[in-house]
This record gives sequence, C-alpha cells and structure tokens, in this order.
Amino acid sequence: MRVTVELTYDMSKDLGVDSLEMEGVRTVAELVDKAKAQVGPGFERHTRLAAIAVNGVLVNHKKGMRTRLADGDVVAFVKASAGG
Amino acid sequence: MIKGYAGRMLEVDLKNRTFELQPLDTGIARLYIGGKGYGTRLLYDRTEAGIDPLGPENLLIFATGPLNGSVAPQTNRFAVVCKSPLTGGIGNATCGGNFALGLKKAGIDILILKNQSDKPVRLEINGDKDEVKFTDASDLWGKGTYETQEILGKKKYHAVIGPAGENLVLFAGIVSQERIAGRTGTGAVMGSKGVKAITVEGSRKLEMEDPEAFKAYTKEVRAIFKAHPMLGGKLKACGTGNIVNTANGRNILPTRNFARGHFEKAKTISGEYIADHELVGVKTSCIHCPVTCGRDVETQKRGKIKGPEYETLALMGSNLEIGDAQQVFEFNYLADDMGMDTISLGSVLGFAMELTERGMLDSKLAFGKAEGVSEMIQDIAHRSGLGNDLANGVKKMSEKYGGHDFAIHVKGLEISAYDPRGSYAQGVEYATTNRGGDHAQGACMYMESTGPFTINPHSLKLKVELPVMQQNLMCSVNSMVMCMFTTYGMIPKQAHELSPNSMAYKLAIAAFENSGPALRLFLKKRPKTGPMMWFEKWLTYITGETFSTGHLQDIGARIFNLERMYNLREGLSGKDDTLPPRILYEPTFKGMTSGHPLHKLLPRYYDLRGWDASGVPRPETLAELQVVV
Repeated sequence: MRVTVELTYDMSKDLGVDSLEMEGVRTVAELVDKAKAQVGPGFERHTRLAAIAVNGVLVNHKKGMRTRLADGDVVAFVKASAGG
Repeated sequence: MIKGYAGRMLEVDLKNRTFELQPLDTGIARLYIGGKGYGTRLLYDRTEAGIDPLGPENLLIFATGPLNGSVAPQTNRFAVVCKSPLTGGIGNATCGGNFALGLKKAGIDILILKNQSDKPVRLEINGDKDEVKFTDASDLWGKGTYETQEILGKKKYHAVIGPAGENLVLFAGIVSQERIAGRTGTGAVMGSKGVKAITVEGSRKLEMEDPEAFKAYTKEVRAIFKAHPMLGGKLKACGTGNIVNTANGRNILPTRNFARGHFEKAKTISGEYIADHELVGVKTSCIHCPVTCGRDVETQKRGKIKGPEYETLALMGSNLEIGDAQQVFEFNYLADDMGMDTISLGSVLGFAMELTERGMLDSKLAFGKAEGVSEMIQDIAHRSGLGNDLANGVKKMSEKYGGHDFAIHVKGLEISAYDPRGSYAQGVEYATTNRGGDHAQGACMYMESTGPFTINPHSLKLKVELPVMQQNLMCSVNSMVMCMFTTYGMIPKQAHELSPNSMAYKLAIAAFENSGPALRLFLKKRPKTGPMMWFEKWLTYITGETFSTGHLQDIGARIFNLERMYNLREGLSGKDDTLPPRILYEPTFKGMTSGHPLHKLLPRYYDLRGWDASGVPRPETLAELQVVV
C-alpha cells in the first residue's frame, strides 16, 4: 500500500521535496509517526498548526488519527489561510 | 444630516451634459446605510423593469458610506450598483483604491450617472466649486487602465475603464489605482455611457459625532489587526495567494474548469512561493489599510508590476492547469490593464479550453498551455475574432456552443475559486446570492474550508444558517463600505494558536456545529442588543446612532431582500438559485456519489429567509424588514 504525503510549503522548502511517498502505513497515526522520523525535528514546528486531510477531508471529520488509509490516498498537512 | 455623510448626491446627465446636486435622504440612509444598500434602493426606485443594461435607461451608481473618508483600516472602498449586463439582474461590485476617499473629499456620498454620452467623455468633478466638467476623452479612448491613470495623474482620485469596458465586454470592471470593481460587468455599463474616466477633487473633511472615541478606538483596532495571525500575519506576508495551498489540500482548488479540486503544481502558484521567489519591493495597500495584502512582482517582460490575487492564481492558474506563476502574472497584468474581472475571465477561458478539447469549439486554447492565452485576453478586450464570443461570458458561450453541463456559472456570473463540493455552505451562498455565483457576498468558505476554525463542510449542519448570516453581514459591510477582510479579524488571535488536532479545538468546533438552533433564533429575531464588533463601534462613533450585530443583520437582511425583489422584477426566479450541473452531479471526493446536495438545503434556506417555496419573499417578511416595493 502506498500513500502520498503533501507537505506544507515550509516543510517542502526545508526538505527540498514537494511530497513524500510512504509504504505500509495503515492509519494516519502511523503515517504521522513515520513522517516525524523521516522529516526530523522540524516536523513538530511545521505541523503544529496544520490540520491533516485525507483526500481533501480533514481527519477531524473522520476518525481522527485512527482514520484508516488506503492505497493511493493523498494525505496533506493543511494550514489555515485568509483572503478572498 | 447624520454625521459621517456629506449629505449630497450628484446626478450627472451624460446626454444633456448637465448635473444636479441633490440632498441625501436620511430615511434611506438609516434603513440602508449607504454603499451597496443605498445604491440598490436608488436603482430599484429610479429605473423601470426590463431596461437594457447597456442602454441609456440604466443607471451607474457610485456609492460611499459613512466609514469612507475616515482613517479606520479597510474602509476606503466604494460600491458600484447598476443592472448587470452579465446576469440581467442586480449588478454590483466594490473596489478599494482611492476613489471613495476622493468622493468624500468632494462632499459627495453618491454619484449617479444617467443617459449616455454620444462621444467619449471624462468627468472632472470639483466638490469645492460644485462643478462638473465634461472633457473630451477621445485621446484616452483605447488606452489601458494603467496608461490612462498615468495620464490623469497618480495623485488624483479617479475611476477609469480600459478597452474591455469601452468594447462592452460583459465582465469588464471599473479600476481605481490597482484595484478593480470586478464583478457583474459594471465597466461595460460605464463604457456604454461613453465615460472613460471620472476624476474627483475637494477638500472637505469627514464630520464625526465622537472623533476622540473614534480615534482612540481606531488606534486600538489597528494594533489588533497588526498582531492578528491572518490580517497582520499571513495576508501581510503572502497576500491572498496564501489560500492556494490550503484550497489544494482541502480539494477545492478549481482545476481544469472545475473538473477537479486538486492541482499537482499548486505550490508554484501559491502565495508562499511567490513571496519567496517573485516578490519585489514593498507590499501595496489601499489607503489607511495596515494589512497590505497587495504585492508587487517582477517579470522579465514588464519589470515590477502588481501581483495577482488568489482568485486570479486559481482561475487563471490551476483552473487552466498552468503552474507557472510568471505566466499568471502576465495574464493578470493584461486583465487589469484591459479592465476585466479575472474570475469571469479565467472561467470563460477554462470553459473554452474544455469546449475545444471536446471538439465543440475551434480554437488553439488548451489546458496546461499558456501559449495563446495572452492573445486571447487582448482579443476578448477588443471583441476581436473568437474573443467576441468569450467576451459574453460562460453562460452565453454555452448557449452558442453547448456544454451546459460544464458551464461554471450561477445566474450568468462565473463562480469564484472555491469548489462547493468541498464547501457546502459556500455552494448555498453561490446559488442564492443575488448578483450570482460569488464568494465576496458571504465568504462561507472561511468557516468550512480555509479559515482557522472550519466545521465539517460535508455535513448539513449550519449549511443554511451560515449563508444567511454571512450574506446579511456582507450586505451591511458593503454598505458602510468596508473590505470583507475585516470580518476575518472576528476570530481572535488566541483561537488561531490552537492546534487543529487538540481537544480544545475539537470541542470548540463541535459547539459551533451544534449552534444551529440558537443561530436560527438569532437570525429570526435579530435582537438589537447583540455584541459590537469594531465596524459597529466605528459606525456608532461616527454617526452617533447605535449599531450592534443585530442592527447589521437587520439592515443586511433588508438589503438582501430588496436585491431579491429587484431580481424577481427583472425576470429571475427561484429556478435561478442553482449550481452548475458539474457541481451538482459530478463527485470530486473519494466515496462521494454525487456533487453538492443543494436540493436538500434550498428549502431550508428559503424558510429561514421567510420566503415561500418558490423563493419569493413573503409579504410579512418584507413588511417586517421595511422593504417597500
């Protein structure tokens, strides 16, 4: 099973990549743990105020960190914005 | 006269080259404030049903409000009201820049243009001398908005049109400095009247009821805005383009003519990317605004120019599958110079690309291909070749070439850059807003898809209450006349510092999502004892009359219902309260079987508005709101 993780803009800048590909993560919690290890100490700083969306839907509106992932899912760290 | 108003309206007859100063009606001002509200009342009362929007009978009304001319942040905007040539219903738009301040300095609350000039004309209004000069504008006709303003003098207060307005492009706008009253084709109405530019001057000062309280409170609010994570943070740092990455992550970024909500190259057209790579010089703002959401960018071709807003980045970037910010800068520059609304322009280009791809239109336009777009923008502005068809907008294009199912508009107005399939309340707002599919008449997306506190966009909770509340509020905001961004400051700084994954955040969202019954009661009763936000305090300090949240809901509901009655008079009906078939029926989220559930929400919306099942305001609703028709 393979999922794509879209990073916040700042995280992408630090890592030099737009997204990460992850194998074998079954839930959002597992994905976050793996991402922490992969990204390193900057992860908390970059994602503290970011919501997590699976295929565009916030996990807050699903099963939170227990939300199950499927092959091909896109998980994004999303920060609030304003304008119009 | 109530303080905050100059007390005068100027009516200019373009055919007979005469003008008349009239007293402002304080009764109307108390009921409708000014700006959009007052302008709508005038349009309703002074025009007949069924007039040609581009004919002499249409009025073009520039309207300020009691906050304009003060130094309060985000208050130097004017409203333009007319019958829309794009929708056939109510037309309006608001604009920053400096023209609102100029009108107030000239001692004019409202400027009404009637009839048509038989040759290009420039109006020079001097409020101190009570004088209007009708100057030949043949030398300016055909020039872009940048050159026109350069010739008129950068320090003057003016409103101008570009070639798009002159050539009656149905989504042409009116420009003041680098800002545009973009939506519903007000620029085409100005062009139909033969007016290229209006310049105002004067030296009057705004009179306030309690200037000391106003000054002290404004200082306080200015500090709040500067420390606010959105107004003083993200908007200042990245401009409105900061929304691109959020919208993409939430799957609502219009992509490929709204076929999808996610664009692989979104990051390279985002506000953050532009701030890192393309931004030069100082950020720009309207007068007295500490937010400075405007930005300059640099291109190889043009050097330093105004950068695009979110709507432009989305509708002329991701919607066309163009991920090169430099290309979008150029499209934005051309659209501004020609004087066109980039929301409608991006949408009609996307529609033409899809028609071409399906073999329904013979053009060189293609998704992902920037070549030919700049030329087409020029052709649209000059109504040349195929551009003559695109200049009529998506609805009329679909009537000529087909493609109704993927023609993205509501009531003829192309929808803004938030896909309602991931923002149900925004969809209800698009469907019911009187001027057509637009986000700036409610901005519900902020509370369900883009802001710091977002309810579940896919449940039916609050999907009726939010649009009603927000549409009412924005009717009032557009009548003061203020920038919609000020409402973002209503969510305090502390709330932005909560992690979306924290228990406190989840509890707050749950409480908000379950506030429907209380909100419905509030919207029905609109008690005049509600809390006061800064704009209500400013109104109170300036005018000396009491304003509260309930007052503004009351006034906003009145304006909204009057707009509705105008549309009904012009032949629109509840059948026009809909969304494009693509949005209603094509899923964009995993597990979704259809699009937007409007059919479940519209009856509830009508009921909360006090309208009958066909969407007509009940007589008792109009009576309660004092809407006389």
